[in-house]
Amino acid sequence: MLKLIKEVLKVGNATLPYPFAPMEMMPGFRGKPVHDPELCIACAACAIACPPNALSMSTDLDQGCQSWHLFVGRCIYCARCEEVCPTDAITLSPNFELAVMNKDDLREQADYQLAACRECGIFFAPLKEIEYMIALLQQSGVSAENVATARMLFEVCPECKRKNDIPKLASLYQEAV
Amino acid sequence: MVGKNGKHPGVDGSRYAIHPDPNVGQLKGALLKDIARSVYVYRVDCGGCNGCEIEIFASITPLFDVERFGIKVVSSPRHADVLVYTGAMTRSMRIPALRAYHAAPEPKICVAYGACGSSGGIFHDLYCVWGGADKVVPVDVYIPGCPPTPGATIYGFAMALGLLGQKMKAVHHVQQDGEHSQIRYPELPSRLRVEIERESRRMAGYLHGKKIANSFLDLLVAHQADGAGKVEQEIQAYLSQQDDPRLTEIFTSLQQIYQAERK
Repeated sequence: MLKLIKEVLKVGNATLPYPFAPMEMMPGFRGKPVHDPELCIACAACAIACPPNALSMSTDLDQGCQSWHLFVGRCIYCARCEEVCPTDAITLSPNFELAVMNKDDLREQADYQLAACRECGIFFAPLKEIEYMIALLQQSGVSAENVATARMLFEVCPECKRKNDIPKLASLYQEAV
Repeated sequence: MVGKNGKHPGVDGSRYAIHPDPNVGQLKGALLKDIARSVYVYRVDCGGCNGCEIEIFASITPLFDVERFGIKVVSSPRHADVLVYTGAMTRSMRIPALRAYHAAPEPKICVAYGACGSSGGIFHDLYCVWGGADKVVPVDVYIPGCPPTPGATIYGFAMALGLLGQKMKAVHHVQQDGEHSQIRYPELPSRLRVEIERESRRMAGYLHGKKIANSFLDLLVAHQADGAGKVEQEIQAYLSQQDDPRLTEIFTSLQQIYQAERK
């Protein structure tokens, strides 16, 4: 008996003190996805990658608003959103204390403005995404003149681009004939 | 709380209909006082992958030891104060789930456990899945996670028992005027950044490739003003600190790209 007690004292207490003391998570532990709404460009890469559709996008073309939604209750913490995010706006934190009484507290939303097409005035792409593309072109050493041309192109919706291309293609075809 | 065909086993008129007591909040408060340090938990698996069960059993092991709070897993819902619903609510398990609910004495606390229990999780759009446990029974506490770690389990139970408070809250961000995203590593040529990210992801896979590329680029940005020798030195210091031959291999390859780009 005494020997057993000695052994127990030598081994000590294996039980973790959590919840009375914070718990250290292992490096690489994937907990709640943290979204930085300032860095996000609403490109929807994460929503496409998300296997359980915990991340989703919704578009309101009347108001010109693109909304990013996260429902933590459905998240499986696979970090696919983190790996596809082009701006590092979403990262998985070690936070695991996610229990809630009210289901709506598991929801996160971020609303972004859409840019209206230069020609037809219909909303078509997030404003921040276009700005980000312009910034990327500037950084990769494209001349200011070409950036301005690119901006003209970026601010036109795909439908109008198609319409503009038709006369050009027709004239090219006529020249060829 | 409606099933896919509009009919729901818990609706009025069904023999499984749930009629919560109007004073249910008060009763639950009294229950929590009565069962302090002696909480009997019954686990209802509604069609999950058993990952959640493994984590529940991990949390009653000596390392996490929820039994120090008196939490005990029992084998009959008739003994239970707390019902833990794990797994997505499948069509075939909805009636057994309701029977377990009715078998437990009132008042009882229902916990939706795991991503599937909270909302259907990755199975949410399957033909046979109704959704989370809240589609069929009234749920008091949601513990998301896939599966929730034993730490998350302890936290969720402590919340269900009124010992700890809730930390999560809903967030709604609206874009402000003049809000711009920033390019990553504007100090580096974008071609170099892309090449390094590609190579790193080729060697280490997507998520870790990104992380390794970021740590390499961080070192470059921090020390490239002091010359190539300093960068080399700092990278060697970082590698010896990490002490991982796989990381060394990847960094060597990334360094070759960096050197080729500088020429």
